[in-house]
Amino acid sequence: MTTLSHAPVSTRPIPNPKRSLITRLNMGTGIIVGAIFCWGTYYAMRAGRDMTDSHNVNKVLLASMLMWSFGFLVGIGALIGPFRWLIGKDLTAEEQLYLAGDGQGVKRYFKYCTDHKVVGIQYLVGVMTMLGVGGTMAMMIRTNLATPGSHLVTPNVYNSLVGLHGITMIIAMIIVATGPFGNYIMPIMIGARDMAFPRLNALSWWVLFTAIPVLCSAWFLGGIPTGWTAYAPLSDQAGPGMNAFLATIIIFAVSTAVAGMNITTTVIAMRAKGMKWNRVPIFVVGATISVALAIPAFPTFMLAMIQTGMDRTIATGFYDANVGGSGWLYANLFWIMGHPEVYVILIPGVAALMEIAPVFVRKPLFSYNAAIAGFAGIAGLSVLVWAHHMYMSGWMPSLNGPFMITTEFISVPTGLLFLVLVGTLWRGRPWMKLPMLSVYAFLWNFLIGGITGVYLSDVPADNYLHGSMFVTAHFHYTLMGAAFTGAMAGLVYWFPKMTGRMLNERAGYIAFWLIQIGFNVLFLGMFMAGAEGQPRRVADYAFVYEHSNMISTAGAYSVGIGMITLLWAVVHSWRNGKIAPMNPWGAKTLEWTVPYPVPLENFDVEPIITSDPYGYGKAAN
Amino acid sequence: MVNHTEELLPPTPGQRVSKFLSRKDVRQTFILGAFFTIVFVVLGIWVYPHWMPNVLSKEMQADEDIMIWFTVISAPIAGVILAIAMESFLNMHRGDTPPEDGIAMRTHTPVVIIWSSVSVLFIILALVWGMVSMNTDAVKAATDAPNALVVDVTGSQWAWSFNYPAQNITTHTLNLPVDRPVTFNIISADVNHSFWPVQLGVKVDANRLTTTVIHTTPDKIGVLDVKCAELCGLYHAYMETSGQVESTTDFNNWVSSIQAQGGTQ
Repeated sequence: MTTLSHAPVSTRPIPNPKRSLITRLNMGTGIIVGAIFCWGTYYAMRAGRDMTDSHNVNKVLLASMLMWSFGFLVGIGALIGPFRWLIGKDLTAEEQLYLAGDGQGVKRYFKYCTDHKVVGIQYLVGVMTMLGVGGTMAMMIRTNLATPGSHLVTPNVYNSLVGLHGITMIIAMIIVATGPFGNYIMPIMIGARDMAFPRLNALSWWVLFTAIPVLCSAWFLGGIPTGWTAYAPLSDQAGPGMNAFLATIIIFAVSTAVAGMNITTTVIAMRAKGMKWNRVPIFVVGATISVALAIPAFPTFMLAMIQTGMDRTIATGFYDANVGGSGWLYANLFWIMGHPEVYVILIPGVAALMEIAPVFVRKPLFSYNAAIAGFAGIAGLSVLVWAHHMYMSGWMPSLNGPFMITTEFISVPTGLLFLVLVGTLWRGRPWMKLPMLSVYAFLWNFLIGGITGVYLSDVPADNYLHGSMFVTAHFHYTLMGAAFTGAMAGLVYWFPKMTGRMLNERAGYIAFWLIQIGFNVLFLGMFMAGAEGQPRRVADYAFVYEHSNMISTAGAYSVGIGMITLLWAVVHSWRNGKIAPMNPWGAKTLEWTVPYPVPLENFDVEPIITSDPYGYGKAAN
Repeated sequence: MVNHTEELLPPTPGQRVSKFLSRKDVRQTFILGAFFTIVFVVLGIWVYPHWMPNVLSKEMQADEDIMIWFTVISAPIAGVILAIAMESFLNMHRGDTPPEDGIAMRTHTPVVIIWSSVSVLFIILALVWGMVSMNTDAVKAATDAPNALVVDVTGSQWAWSFNYPAQNITTHTLNLPVDRPVTFNIISADVNHSFWPVQLGVKVDANRLTTTVIHTTPDKIGVLDVKCAELCGLYHAYMETSGQVESTTDFNNWVSSIQAQGGTQ
């Protein structure tokens, strides 16, 4: 598909702007400056305030957390560029080359590095850490629920586990594909030398990084009682830990906006010569639609959180019915973000599988246009369905009908995604490698998630199912069973390009089966608990739900062991794995035309695209 | 000579279909599809009535019917997807080098159109079913209103209390007479809760200072579980109580016994 020559890796002189401030800043200085800003704000604001008043506590904590984030960015050097602009200058070419991290080895991963490949690896490690933390919390939840009346953790710790598992996993899943693969692989896939705004790219990662300690601090401030939905007025009533949640979302929304703008601009403006819209690899299309959907979605969440913060600090009462506010206002703002957000998570995972399936079936992607129609249709409808989360809230029962219509119609574009994948499988002879297995797991899991989603969208059935474990099982089938399965396939598929090594196959297969079988046992058990009438987010339950919960917990342990095996496979293969050839899967997209390590600006000669990357196959008989 | 001429002619649609159906992989896919469809139909009909608790009202029956019949209706769609997946899975290639390329089929317009149309029809069916079911409930609620038993439900952290204004009693268990419509007026004393009398198949949030209303008619005698379905803080899990759908005589006796205690349970 491409005309490309492979010159040896460029040997640019490594710039060394001596005594320049830029060379001395890294994650360590960021943490130090951030801590100084945080503690400085904390002590300065505490002075003279009555700290027995919860409004004052909230003011001080919220400001300290946001100042930590700002201080970290100052300390790592994120603001050097903008500061230079203020005085009418910019970074010198030498400094910019230094920021790209060329030839700095492992150190560059701890710096404000603008190379998209470094940012991709930072996201990958960050996502894996978050999944590990969120998964550990899930294991604790399931252990507590293994038997009725176990009281392994207190109700307060349990509620915090539920909320923090939720938000950690939501954040991790939003970036699980677009973070690592969207940053590392996507620019190479479209033949770009870097992202459109490399400094914003580094900014999006490091802003996100500052949210991690903030979220962790919730544990030391008494936890959060609200679940990840943070419904008001429960959030108005909540203790100081709630501030950590608010600050996390505010920071995360900034990161998402920056990343979303950057990825969208890159794909629109920086595609290689000849890469018309109908030649763009489907993963790139999916990732772009996903982040473009995130751009309008997350600001409403940020706004909702700012208003919660104002309720908690200066008693504005946006959500407090006692002074004329309404909890339904919060619920609306939250779900206007919340429903597009699940598709922000889902689409890149599906798109990764659509990228993978043709390579292993050795057939063109079936109906590229249907895939795009599916993604676009989902993205378009997803902003019109939010109130299906509020059928039973009492807010506007007369709107239940209209929201039921929009919600159920989202099954039509979703059906197209199935069509594209089964069409690609049709009459194929798939090369059964690990990434390909995920396609099958996805079809099964997403089918279950999809069918149960149709019941939930039907108002009468939701009368029974709303707020039950059935809902929890349903959205885990879509987010974990579908989106995570897609991301895991992406990890195995692109691992050779990102690390230069092949993922250990045997460990990969063991992990795959432990995770997928365990996952189905876990959440089929949870469907059972929900149908039996167990509400979600409960620390304890009646004896009638004993068997279904036992089944779920058994499945959870299988998933847990599978995840540890996967982690071992990744770490072990990254260090000692088999060296990967340049194009181990025989794929036709551009990322497989560059060597490992990928040179600083990816391509020595800019590629020219003459067809889409799915030109497999012989003529049909 | 004749055969030779026939081969030069393009095949008629009928010939193409019969050639398609005679292929081994197509027949296998059909058999697999029938198998998966039957599995889903059986699961749908068997699983939910076994899992779900006693049905004590028409609303609950409607909820359960939707779950059963939507599974049955979607079974053929699941069957097609799983059959094609399984057929290709069984045809796998193993080894360290990729297999030969398959056919270069980039799209198939009739299939895309049929697939989209079938999913639209399925959705319209689900929508009509849901709308009719919703509307039946609403009409029934309006016509039932005159003789309805009114229960004012208050959710507070972390207990339910029930006030029967006509009977002038306040209780912590929810007892209801069979075959008499009941109107619940629900409100919260603090944060959001969600009132869920499980076996009646209805549910609505309890909000601060805004009353929400639901109607149902218990039509069988049995034990009721009342739960909170909205996370409401520390003891959310324990915010549950029980009750009884009972004969009118039993209900009246129960009311009298509470009134004899001074009107509170």
